[in-house]
Amino acid sequence: MIELKGIYKWVNTGNNRTFLLKDINLSIKEGEFISIMGPSGSGKSTLLNVIGMLDEFDEGEYVFMNEPVHKLKEKQRAALYKQYIGFVFQAYHLIDELTVYENIETPLIYQDIKSSDRKAMVADILDRFNIVGKKDLFPTQLSGGQQQLVGIARALIANPRLLLADEPTGNLNSKQGEEIMDLFSQLNKDGVTIIQVTHSEKNAAYGSRIINLLDGRVEK
Amino acid sequence: MFKNYFKTALRNLRKNKLYSIINIFGLTVGLAACLLIGVYINNELSYDKFNSNADRIVRVTMEFKQAETVNKVATTGTKVGPQFKRTFPDIEDYVRTYISSSIVKNDTKIFDEPRVLYADDPFFKIFSFKIIEGDAATALDAPGKVVLTKSMAEKYFGKEDAVNKTLNVSGKDMIVSAVCQDAPQNSQLKFDFVTQFLNLNNVKEENWWTANWVTYLLLRDKNSIPQLEQQVNNYMQTPAVRAEARLDGSNYLSYHLEPLTSVHLHSSLAGFEPNGSITYVYMFLVIALLILIIACANYTNLATAQSAGRSGEIGMRKVMGASKQQVFIQFIGESAVITFIAAVLAFILSMFLIPSFNNILGTHFGLDVLIQPVPIISLIAFCILVSFFAGLYPALVLSGTQIIGVLKKGFTFTGGNNLLRKSLIVVQFSISIFLIIYTVVILQQMNFMQTKNLGYNKDHVVVLPIGGKMKKDFQNIKEAIEKVPGVEAVTASYETPEFVEWGDGITAIDEKGKHEISLNAMPVDLDFTGTLKMQLAAGRDFQQFDFAIMDTSNDYANYRQPFMINETLAKKLGWSPEQAIGKIIEKGSPGPVVGVVKDFNFSSLHDPIGPLVMFLSRDFANVFMVRIAGNNTKTTLSSLENVWKQRVPERPFNFHFLDDDYNKLYQAEQKTSVLFSVAAGLAIILACLGLFGLAAFTTVQRTKEIGIRRVLGATVSGIAMLVSSNFLKLVAVAILIAAPLAWWAANNWLQDFAFRIPVQLYVFLIAAIATMLIALITVSFHSVKAAVTNPVKSLRTE
Repeated sequence: MIELKGIYKWVNTGNNRTFLLKDINLSIKEGEFISIMGPSGSGKSTLLNVIGMLDEFDEGEYVFMNEPVHKLKEKQRAALYKQYIGFVFQAYHLIDELTVYENIETPLIYQDIKSSDRKAMVADILDRFNIVGKKDLFPTQLSGGQQQLVGIARALIANPRLLLADEPTGNLNSKQGEEIMDLFSQLNKDGVTIIQVTHSEKNAAYGSRIINLLDGRVEK
Repeated sequence: MFKNYFKTALRNLRKNKLYSIINIFGLTVGLAACLLIGVYINNELSYDKFNSNADRIVRVTMEFKQAETVNKVATTGTKVGPQFKRTFPDIEDYVRTYISSSIVKNDTKIFDEPRVLYADDPFFKIFSFKIIEGDAATALDAPGKVVLTKSMAEKYFGKEDAVNKTLNVSGKDMIVSAVCQDAPQNSQLKFDFVTQFLNLNNVKEENWWTANWVTYLLLRDKNSIPQLEQQVNNYMQTPAVRAEARLDGSNYLSYHLEPLTSVHLHSSLAGFEPNGSITYVYMFLVIALLILIIACANYTNLATAQSAGRSGEIGMRKVMGASKQQVFIQFIGESAVITFIAAVLAFILSMFLIPSFNNILGTHFGLDVLIQPVPIISLIAFCILVSFFAGLYPALVLSGTQIIGVLKKGFTFTGGNNLLRKSLIVVQFSISIFLIIYTVVILQQMNFMQTKNLGYNKDHVVVLPIGGKMKKDFQNIKEAIEKVPGVEAVTASYETPEFVEWGDGITAIDEKGKHEISLNAMPVDLDFTGTLKMQLAAGRDFQQFDFAIMDTSNDYANYRQPFMINETLAKKLGWSPEQAIGKIIEKGSPGPVVGVVKDFNFSSLHDPIGPLVMFLSRDFANVFMVRIAGNNTKTTLSSLENVWKQRVPERPFNFHFLDDDYNKLYQAEQKTSVLFSVAAGLAIILACLGLFGLAAFTTVQRTKEIGIRRVLGATVSGIAMLVSSNFLKLVAVAILIAAPLAWWAANNWLQDFAFRIPVQLYVFLIAAIATMLIALITVSFHSVKAAVTNPVKSLRTE
């Protein structure tokens, strides 16, 4: 599903070139549950963003679902991730001015899905996540765990093949964190490929494979 | 999708109440100003165009040279219409018109009607005033017929059918032949009654001179104007016509043809009402746009400032698949939502403002002018434009942001955006300061004109029109008025002294030779200079015994006319005031100069004081001028009215005050000054509101910095200064930009006045200091609040 070959990413500060990613070679198959680990500043989030096509890289080849990402234009990349990838963030990034229902619905709007279909899909996922009663509340009226649940529901609404999660439990207490991780395992069993960035060994253990990063390199 | 955007927009509005109120208020005011001014401009530009023959109608104006002076007037003699029609086949028809006030009465009602129109028979054929009842073809075909407007029909006959009823107009019984629609706002001819031209006195004979009548021609072809004008002027130069018009030497008489639709805005010659001016139309347009620019700049500034808080939302929308265009449309949409809310409010506001608007401009618009397709469609079109321009920049910036940066660090404006925001503030304040200075200069000049020593005292002088049989009873009526308690002095003249229009010429012979001078002339009664409190430079006012030399026997063979002249005329003749006394001058008849009056302003302050001759005469007395004691005006007026009712029962007691007449001369300036005062006020309020919002935003953004500075030992005042100074610098730049422009513009405006104030430096200083202070107060509201906040609180945020 994902094929990374010799990926480099750097920033220039004055005369110095600082490498954020250095020679990343990675192959991820459909159905895997990957945990990316490493100390602060090791490039975990950068790698995740590169995989999610939210961030660019400077060198190397990236093939996603048989599409050479490094050769695509921004629009085509956007179309690609819109179709296949869902994102979950540490800070949830829900839109404060929209209700739970509307937040979940928004990605469908951008994918030009008909209003009646949207209703059915959102109702379905609200039901599945047991948050039907909260659908008219605004994000600020929810607890952190509930917000992240909405965040995941939103990420899954368009049936992505790949779920990218950047420290999804980072802002949650341990019980809430556990519930989220259980949900991830369940999703993975249902066939969703998951890549998560985490600091916690315990959360990493939910995954089928762990990738350790240090100073932008994959540690073997 | 739009529902989603719409919801976000509305919820954002609710969330940021301060910004929303500032934005909506500003745009409401801006759009209301544009709407009202648009209505006015539309009215000005549409003048006379309702006439279906508009492009074939011309007004004839007269140009003539006499006594080395060229004169242009909008009136012609009685001969022009009929003679031209007989001579030039291009002319289909003509109508001669005259509007005067006349006494109108029926069994129950009597009024002095100011707008009785006298017009030739084809009037309703040439102009498109709609006849509601009766037949247009025969409405004016006999002298005993009168056409009423709808409101006059109601005024005199109530709900009854007016046609075929009798009405007495100016002493003649007439049959109401038709009722027509009221003359529209945008017609140069505004009337309440129409009756035949030949009902006027002394118009039956065709005459090139005695030019009191406005002549309109209906042409067969709208393109024939230049060629017809040429033909007319060739014709006027033929010896036969010159002889008939008694022209000799270099004197001439010629005519110009003005297209009907260009009279109101482009002619220098006023007709029945003062002309509008294309300059005013432009001035209005500019003011509306300036206010709208300030409101739009507020929106742009506050929207970009606010958008920092929305970067997360935008980033997330992009992650979820929103394209750049979709984000762009969303933000343009938001400005559209605000603008349309403002537009609805502006529409309602305009309805409430129409009466005051009428007051300022002297128009008579009703609410119906707004509820029409043109204003509504223009308002919507304007909204779309404003939404786009105000929302463009925030939409561009926000849609162009990189997702990753936004999600990671949040979003801050730096560099270029700041420059834009600063420039917008400078533009707003430049406009405000410009308007303030310009307004102050206008107001100073207005004040100068109100208080200037005119050479006579215009206060507490009651003006009473003389008409009908009153002239025969002149002496008795005058004496009766003089006896009224509270009346100090009474005189009479042809015109009131604030604006003398009577043009004339005199000849004077002295040791240096013969002088011919064109000047203004005033027939006056006894006590003229005394009643008006004019100063004499030499000699005396007219006395009763001066009438003795005015010998009308023997066909005026020994008639001598006593004169008074003004200083300017004496100087022009090379005489000192003392030398002038006893000199003989000739105006029709010769006579001695008995007095020299000190120069007084007998024309508008736009013009310098010219030469003037006053001659003793009661034949031309048109108005009584009654000086009353200032302390008990009401009682004096009611006693005057009682005397009037005894002496002149056939005429209503209509009076006005001389100072009101004077002020009417400066109606245009009065309008300008009110307009600019309002505009300057709005501009500074809107600019300050914008500043207020922006200051609120920046202080929030700098909370942390301010906290750190406080911890490091900065004082409250130091911090308030730190935050305020950034804004004050911009206001200072605005002052530097606006001051020279205002100086230039104000001087330009003042050039129109022969009597004017100098533009003074202190006006600029006061405007600058005032603006600085207002801006400082606006900004410090927030900066002081931020400065006194306990730093522990502001630093705890993370």
